[in-house]
Amino acid sequence: MSSSANARNWKSRLLSHEMLLLYVLIAEWLFFYFAGTTTNRRGVVVGFGTLDRQFDILRHSCEIGLLALALTPIIITAGIDLSVGSLLGLCAILFGKLWHDAGLSLPLAAAITLVLGGIGGGLNASLITTLRLPPLIVTLGTYSLFRGLAEAITRGAITYTDFPASFLFLGQERWLGLPTQAWLLLVVAVVIALLVHRTTFGRSWRAIGFSPEGARYAGLPVNRRLALAYTIAGVIAALAAIIYTARLGQAKADAGTGYELFAITAVVLGGTSIFGGTGSVYGTLLGVAAIAVLKNGLACLPSVMRMNAAEEMSGLLTGALLLLALTASVLPKLLSTVRTRKS
Amino acid sequence: MSRYFRELSVAGALLLVLLGLAIFAPGFYQPQPLLSLATREAPTLIVACGMALVIICRQIDISVGSQFSVVGVCAGLLAARGWPLPAVLLAAILLGAVLGALNGALVAALRLPSIVVTLATLVTLRQGLNMVRQGEFVNLPDGVQWFGLSQAAGQWTLVLLSLAFFVLLGLALRHVAAGRFVYAVGTDAEASRLAGIRPQRVTFGVFVFMGALTGLAAMMNLVQSPQVQPLSGNGLELKVIAAVVVGGVAISGGRGNLWGAFAGLLLLACVSPALTHLHIEAYWEKAIQGAIILLAVVADGVRSRKSNP
Repeated sequence: MSSSANARNWKSRLLSHEMLLLYVLIAEWLFFYFAGTTTNRRGVVVGFGTLDRQFDILRHSCEIGLLALALTPIIITAGIDLSVGSLLGLCAILFGKLWHDAGLSLPLAAAITLVLGGIGGGLNASLITTLRLPPLIVTLGTYSLFRGLAEAITRGAITYTDFPASFLFLGQERWLGLPTQAWLLLVVAVVIALLVHRTTFGRSWRAIGFSPEGARYAGLPVNRRLALAYTIAGVIAALAAIIYTARLGQAKADAGTGYELFAITAVVLGGTSIFGGTGSVYGTLLGVAAIAVLKNGLACLPSVMRMNAAEEMSGLLTGALLLLALTASVLPKLLSTVRTRKS
Repeated sequence: MSRYFRELSVAGALLLVLLGLAIFAPGFYQPQPLLSLATREAPTLIVACGMALVIICRQIDISVGSQFSVVGVCAGLLAARGWPLPAVLLAAILLGAVLGALNGALVAALRLPSIVVTLATLVTLRQGLNMVRQGEFVNLPDGVQWFGLSQAAGQWTLVLLSLAFFVLLGLALRHVAAGRFVYAVGTDAEASRLAGIRPQRVTFGVFVFMGALTGLAAMMNLVQSPQVQPLSGNGLELKVIAAVVVGGVAISGGRGNLWGAFAGLLLLACVSPALTHLHIEAYWEKAIQGAIILLAVVADGVRSRKSNP
């Protein structure tokens, strides 16, 4: 009796969404490992299979990973934030300006940038909670506003560069074996995972996602919990902006354009329901990895390299992947309604 | 009065802007630049009409910009192959309708949220186009620009056509049953189902219509220049959504009309020439657009809070 229950438990665990995604990720990685690794004329292994490339994937996935982590609680509450990519751009510019024009020290500029990111997220939060406006249209407005401010501040031309090596260490070097920024991603991932899965905050986000009215009747401070999710997202977007600046060594107004799509895709791919109520941070991390491996692996395939269109192709596939993941996520529900209607 | 308060207040704001321009930048009122401005905005008006329907139906479509670019490039290629202009027009509208049907099927049949579906199609179409074309321009044969007419005649044709279409659609939305269905579904899909409407079908139809209008608009854009830019539709979605929302179409569905959307579009269309005439740098345009969207939704939010606290 108990052994069969155990077996069923194991079976359902092996077939859970996160595990399925893990199998897909492994298959994807193996494919690129065999198809994207070559030996060059001097007998050196190049391409996807090298350790350097693996670190590169990790390094390049940090900003999108951070944004995806920021979006996970928001999507669990059945909300959405389209403005994170634009806020990343605005924060990168503000950070560069604070350091370069205002002459602040880098740690101080970074701290102020994080606060400003929180204020940006707080603007979303206050419009969504106090006026009960739909997050979609509010963040569509701030998507345009934040990017527009970044362009206005830089007049579309100024780029802040010449950051000291001690700062570039954050984005371009390794610390304790891993790319430096990966440690920050890890810290944020642990904090968000704890919040979502081990605290009452996570529980109330889920409750709000299922039914905001019900959550309110159950005595939850719905507005405060929602505001927290959007404000955290702002702070994380600012952190991503600092890391982005350190990785590229420059801050410009188009930083993070289109990142919101990759982040939303990662979250949905990770099994968080776009209708709210359920979701997992581990799934989000796996989703980020799946997208990062795809993006990087494509660039290593000889056929894609000849076409010189790896960037476009990964965007195309990510969009298609999002559509597939969405379809797959509603298919069971749809089939069951069709079945009940027939019987 | 109170029923159309929102539309009237937008019209009032538009009058104020026009008055301000008359006082501070009379150079704005010259017939030729104004006609050019109207011609440039004519395709946008057509897309805004479709977007108003989509939003009244409680959906959203942010993929119109990508559809616009894809249809524009494809129609340009057909025209370059020597297809006659009417055939190209038909093909453009059909292709737009097919792209809209893809969105519509995903939203209506699978009941996925339209914002995420169209975000995905936005990127898929744009990147697909970039991958295939690598940013290449399409050169159009002679006789395509301004339908082979003189520039002024072509401009007037486009402006008058789009205005006529807009007026017809605005009337149809109010007086034809299919138009009322859109409002019914946007107000309450379940109630409309009980009243005998099939909400999923209406939603699907609205997306197909949106796509067809985008195809038409892409065509109206194509005849304005001797080349087709592959990036012509970038940012179009924000512009039309802003116009529609500013014009008083409620993002929560079921409320608003095309007249308001028209006023909203004119208001936004005046922003960029007003900026140049008032010597404000054009880099502020996007920020101002975002601020106007936020202002419009905040005004709606404040009003709805007052009426039912």
